[in-house]
Amino acid sequence: MGGQSAGTQPSGVETIQKLCDRVASSTLLEDRRDAVRALKSLSKKYRMEVGSQAMEHLVRILQSDRSDSEILGYALDTLYNIICNEEEEEQDDGQRRQEDDVGVQFADKFIQDQENVTLLLSLLEEFDFHVRWPGVKLLTALLKCQCAQVQGIILISPMGVSRLMDLLADSREVIRNDGLLLLQQLTKGNAAIQKIVAFENAFERLLDIITEEGTSDGGIVVEDCLLLLLNLLKNNSSNQNFFKEGSFIQRMKQWFQLGEESGGGWSAQKVTNLHLMLQLVRVMVSPVNSPGATASCQKSMFQCGLLQQLCTILMATGVPADILTETINTVSEVIRGSQVNQDYFASVNAPSNPPRPAIVVLLMSMVNERQPFVLRCAVLYCFQCFLYKNHKGQAEIVSTLLPSTIDAQSISAGQLLCGGLFSADSLSNWCASVALAHALHDNSNQKEQLLRVQLATSLGKPPISLLQQCTNILSQGSKVQTRVGLLMLLCTWISNCPIAVTHFLHNQENVPFLTAQISENLGEDERLVQGLCALLLGICIYYNDNSLENYTKEKLKQLIEKRIGKENFVEKLGFITKHELYSRAAQKPQPTFSTPEHMLFDHEFTKLVKELEGVITKAVHKSSEEEKKEEEVKKTLEQHDSIVTQYKELIREQDAQITELKEQVSALVCQKEQMDNTITQQQSQIQQHKDQYNILKLKLGKDGAVSQADVQVNGVQLEELTALRLELEELRTQHTLLQTQLTEKDTLINSLKAEAAQSAERPAPASENTELLKEVESLRVQVQSQQDEISQLQSERQELQRRTQTVSGSSSDGESAKLRELEKRLTTQTTETHRLQEELRTHSESRTQLEKELAAANSTVVILQTEKTKLQQEVGESKKEQDDLLMLLADQDQKILFLKQKLKDLGEPIEDEDDLDARDQSDEEDDDEEEEDDE
Amino acid sequence: MAYAYLFKYIIIGDTGVGKSCLLLQFTDKRFQPVHDLTIGVEFGARMITIDGKQIKLQIWDTAGQESFRSITRSYYRGAAGALLVYDITRRDTFNHLTTWLEDARQHSNSNMVIMLIGNKSDLESRREVKKEEGEAFAREHGLIFMETSAKTASNVEEAFINTAKEIYEKIQEGVFDINNEANGIKIGPQHAATNSTLSGGQGGQQAGGGCC
Ligand SMILES: Nc1nc2c(ncn2[C@@H]2O[C@H](COP(=O)(O)OP(=O)(O)OP(=O)(O)O)[C@@H](O)[C@H]2O)c(=O)[nH]1
Ligand SMILES: [Mg+2]
Repeated sequence: MGGQSAGTQPSGVETIQKLCDRVASSTLLEDRRDAVRALKSLSKKYRMEVGSQAMEHLVRILQSDRSDSEILGYALDTLYNIICNEEEEEQDDGQRRQEDDVGVQFADKFIQDQENVTLLLSLLEEFDFHVRWPGVKLLTALLKCQCAQVQGIILISPMGVSRLMDLLADSREVIRNDGLLLLQQLTKGNAAIQKIVAFENAFERLLDIITEEGTSDGGIVVEDCLLLLLNLLKNNSSNQNFFKEGSFIQRMKQWFQLGEESGGGWSAQKVTNLHLMLQLVRVMVSPVNSPGATASCQKSMFQCGLLQQLCTILMATGVPADILTETINTVSEVIRGSQVNQDYFASVNAPSNPPRPAIVVLLMSMVNERQPFVLRCAVLYCFQCFLYKNHKGQAEIVSTLLPSTIDAQSISAGQLLCGGLFSADSLSNWCASVALAHALHDNSNQKEQLLRVQLATSLGKPPISLLQQCTNILSQGSKVQTRVGLLMLLCTWISNCPIAVTHFLHNQENVPFLTAQISENLGEDERLVQGLCALLLGICIYYNDNSLENYTKEKLKQLIEKRIGKENFVEKLGFITKHELYSRAAQKPQPTFSTPEHMLFDHEFTKLVKELEGVITKAVHKSSEEEKKEEEVKKTLEQHDSIVTQYKELIREQDAQITELKEQVSALVCQKEQMDNTITQQQSQIQQHKDQYNILKLKLGKDGAVSQADVQVNGVQLEELTALRLELEELRTQHTLLQTQLTEKDTLINSLKAEAAQSAERPAPASENTELLKEVESLRVQVQSQQDEISQLQSERQELQRRTQTVSGSSSDGESAKLRELEKRLTTQTTETHRLQEELRTHSESRTQLEKELAAANSTVVILQTEKTKLQQEVGESKKEQDDLLMLLADQDQKILFLKQKLKDLGEPIEDEDDLDARDQSDEEDDDEEEEDDE
Repeated sequence: MAYAYLFKYIIIGDTGVGKSCLLLQFTDKRFQPVHDLTIGVEFGARMITIDGKQIKLQIWDTAGQESFRSITRSYYRGAAGALLVYDITRRDTFNHLTTWLEDARQHSNSNMVIMLIGNKSDLESRREVKKEEGEAFAREHGLIFMETSAKTASNVEEAFINTAKEIYEKIQEGVFDINNEANGIKIGPQHAATNSTLSGGQGGQQAGGGCC
C-alpha cells in the first residue's frame, strides 16, 4: 500500500471531487453522511487527494452538523487518516519521511485557522463515543505534527487543557488510554501546560490508574501513565515541588515492592515499567535539581522507606541486569550528598553467608571484567555518590587500607580497590583509581592517611607505599586508560596537600619521568597523558611548601623553563580541557560512556582541572619576584581574612548575644506584664488599706484613747519604725523602772509604817521621808516627760504618715518588687502598729494605775508625816522626861558616892557592882559561839 | 505530614501588586524586595491548623501580566479559594478588580471563597486607595477583606488562614462537594472513610457512567 501514485487512478480524484460536492451541497443529512463515509473509506488510499480536496468540506461538517454524531465521527476519522502518520507499518526511511511531510502539511493547513482547533476541543466535550474517540485521536495526531503551535492554541482557549484532563476520568478505557497518549503529546516540552495538568490532579489520577492496573505488572497503560508523569516532572521544579508536597513520593514506594516469587517473572513490559519508575525517582533527586529540593526529596524517600525498598532490589537475586543497573543508579542519586541516606546505605548488607556489606558486593562487580560495562559504571557512580560530601564514608573506606585496621578475614572495600588498581584489566584500573580519588576529594585528612598505606609485593622484598606503586605502574607504560586513571588519582591525591606533594617529589624518579613525558613529542593518543602529567607537575609547584631543597617551587619552575619551556608546558596542560570527551564528563556527575574506551574523564576531576588550570598557568609564568609579591599580597589577604574572620566571629558572638538578649527582653516583657498586674492589684490593696486606716483613724479619733498618729503608719520607712520601736522600748524600760521604783517606794512605805508603829519609843530618821517626796516628785517629772515623748511620737507619726502617702502616691510607676516589699513592710507595720497601740494602751493603763497608786502613796505619806510630827513631839517629850530622869539619876549618883565615901571614912567595906556585871557578860558570849559551831 | 483537608488556592491580581511576595512570606517567612516577574504560575505549599485540624494549603501563584491571563484562567476551576490582590499605592490595580472578579466568577466554581487583599499596607505615605474603599468593594461583592504587607508580614498569615476558615465553615455547612476534587478540596487520607456522604453544590462537569 501507499505505492500507487496519484496519477494512475484518475477515477479516484474524480470520485473524491464528486463526494466533496455532495458534502457541500446536499441538503439531506443522510446524503451528506454517506458522502463523508465514502470519503473516509478513500482517505487512506487517496490520502493526498482527500486531504487537499476535502478538508474544508469536512471542517464545515464539523461546524454545522453538530447534532449528528455519526457524520461527525466520519469526518473526524477522515481528517485523522489524512493527518496521522501511521507508525506501525514498516517502511523504508525515505518513504517514511515523505509521509511525515504529508501529515505535517495537512496539519498545518488544518490549524491555519485557529478556530478549527477550538472547534475540535469543543467536540471533545461531546460525550458520544463516536465523536469523542476520533476527536481525541485527531488532536493527538495534530499535536504530533505541529506540537508547539497546537499547544499554544490549546493554552489560550478557555479551559482547553482542563477539559482534556477530563479524558482521564472517562469510564471508557479506550478513551482514557488514548487520552493518556494525547496528554503525553500535549505536555511535551511545555511547562505551562505541564503545570495546569498537574493542577488538575494529574498526579493523583495517574497514580491511581497505575495502582488499578497492577503497577509494574500492569500493561502498556501503566507505561503510558509513567511516560506522562515523566513529562510532567522532568525539569519542572514547580511540579516536582507539588509532587513532593502532595505526598506522592510515599506512593512511589509500593511500585518497588516486588513479591519474592513475582508470578509473571520479568516480562519485557515489566522491565520497561520498572525502568520508567526508577527514572521517575531519579527525576525527583537529580543532581541538576536545586540542592534544597533534592535534599528534601531524599529525606522523604528515606523516611517513607523508598530507599530501603530500592536497596532490597539491589541485593535481590534474579533481577535483570538492566533493572539492577538502573536501580543502582537510582540508589546513587537518592543517597548522593545526604548524610542520613549515605549512612543507611553503608549499613546495608547483602543476604549472603556470611553477610557482606552492599558496598563490598557492589565493588566486587565493579572490578569484575565479566560484569556488563553499564553495571560497572553504575557501581562506580553509586560509590561516588556514597562518598560525595561524606567525610565519614571517606574515612571508612580509607581505613580499610590502613595497616592498623586491616581485617585479614574478610574482603574489604580497600582490598578490592587495590586489587582493581593493579589488575590487568585497564577498566578496573580506571574505575578503582577514580573510586579511590573520590575517597579523597575535599578531605586533606584522608589524603595524608592514604600516604601511610603500604603494599606487600613479591616475597622477600620490602613493602612499598601505595603512592610509590602508583607511580611505578605509571612509568611502566601501561594502557592509556590505566595511566589516565592513575594520573587523575595522583592529581587529586596531592592537590591541596603539601605533605603528599613532598612525598611524591621525594621519589627521585618522579620529576624526571614527568618532564620527559611532557617534553616528548608524542602521538595523538598520548596527548591526554601529557596534559595530565603537566597538571601533576603543576600541582607539585602550586602546592609546594619548599621543604625539599631540590624541588622547591623555584627550582621546579626553572626546570620547566629549561627542559620543557613555559609555553610548551601551558600548551600541554591545555590538552586536558581540549579533549573531546572532557566537556561531556563535565556536564553531569554520572559516568556514562558510549563505549568502554571512552571511559577517560571523571566528573569530579573535571571540576579540579577547572579550578587548577588557571592558577597553575599563572604560577608557571610568574617570576620569582612576582611570586614574592604575590606571597606578600597573599599574606595581607590572609591577614584581612583573619580580620574578617575575627569580625565574623564577633558578629556571630554579638548575634548570639542579641538572641540571648532578645530572649531576656521577651522574658522581661512577660515579667513586666505580670508585675503590672501585681501593681494594679497592690494598688487596689493599698487603697483598701488606706480606707481601713482612715476608718480606724476615725474610730480612734472618737475613742480619743490613743493618739491618732498610731493609726497612720502605713508606708513608714523602716528606720523610722526602728527608731519608734527603740523609743517605745525606752518608754517601756522607763515604765519598768518606774514600777520598780514604785515597788521600792511601797516597801519603803511599808517599812516606814512598821517603823512608825515601833517609833513610839524610838525616833525614826526624818531624812527618809524627804527622800521619798523627792522621788515622787521625780516620778511625776518622768511621767510628764513620757507624755511629752508620746506627743512627740504622735507628731512624728503624723509626719511619717504624710510621707507615706506621698510615697504610695508615686509608687504606681515604681517597680513591683519595691512595691511588694513595701506591701510586706506595710503588713508587718500594721501588725506592729496594732501591737504598739495595744502596748501603749496597756502602758497608759498601768500608768494611770501607777498614778493612782502614787496618789494613794502620797496621801499615806501625808498621814505618815503628821504621825511622824506627833511622834517627834512625843519623842521630844520623852527626851525631856529622860533628861529629867538623868538629872535625878545624877543627883542620886552624887548622893550614893557621897554616902559611899562617908561609909569608907567610917571604915565600912563596900562591894564593887560594875566588875561583877562585866564577868557575867563574857561567859554568855562564849556559849553562843559554841552553839553556832554545833549547827 | 498527614492532613485532615487539603485546599487549593490561587493568587490573582495585577502584576507587581505583591502576589509572589505574599506567597513567599507565607511559605518561607521571607521578603523579596526585587520584582521577580512570575512566568505562568508557581507552586507553594504550607500546613496550617484550624479548629485543631491540620490543613494543607496548596497555593498557585499566577502571573499578573496580561499575556498570561489565559493560563491563569485554567486555574480557577480547581481552586477552593482565591486571594484577589491589589496594591494600595496604585489605584489602577484597584480599578481592575472588577475585571478580575468577573473572570474569577466566570471560570471558577460558584463556591470558591474569594479574599480581597489590599497589599503594601506598610507604604502608608504612598497610599492611593483608602481602606474604606476596599471594605466597601468587598462588602458589595460578598468578599472577605484584609489589608496586608508582604514586607512586614502584617496580616499575611491571617489572610491565608481566614480564607481557609471560610472554606472550612462552608464544608461544615455542607456547601462544598468535598468528594469532587475539582472543587479544590481533598479529604486527608485518614479522614476519607468517615466523610463520604457530604454532597451538594455543583457536580463535576465531566460525564460519568455510560459505556460504549
Ligand atoms: N513595600 C512593599 N513592597 C512590596 C510588598 N509586596 C510586594 N512588594 C514589592 O512589589 C514588587 C512586586 O512584587 P511581586 O510579589 O513580585 O509582584 P507580583 O504580584 O507577583 O507580580 P507578577 O508576578 O508580575 O504578577 C516587588 O518589588 C516587591 O518587593 C509590600 O507588602 N510592601
Ligand atoms: Mg509574581
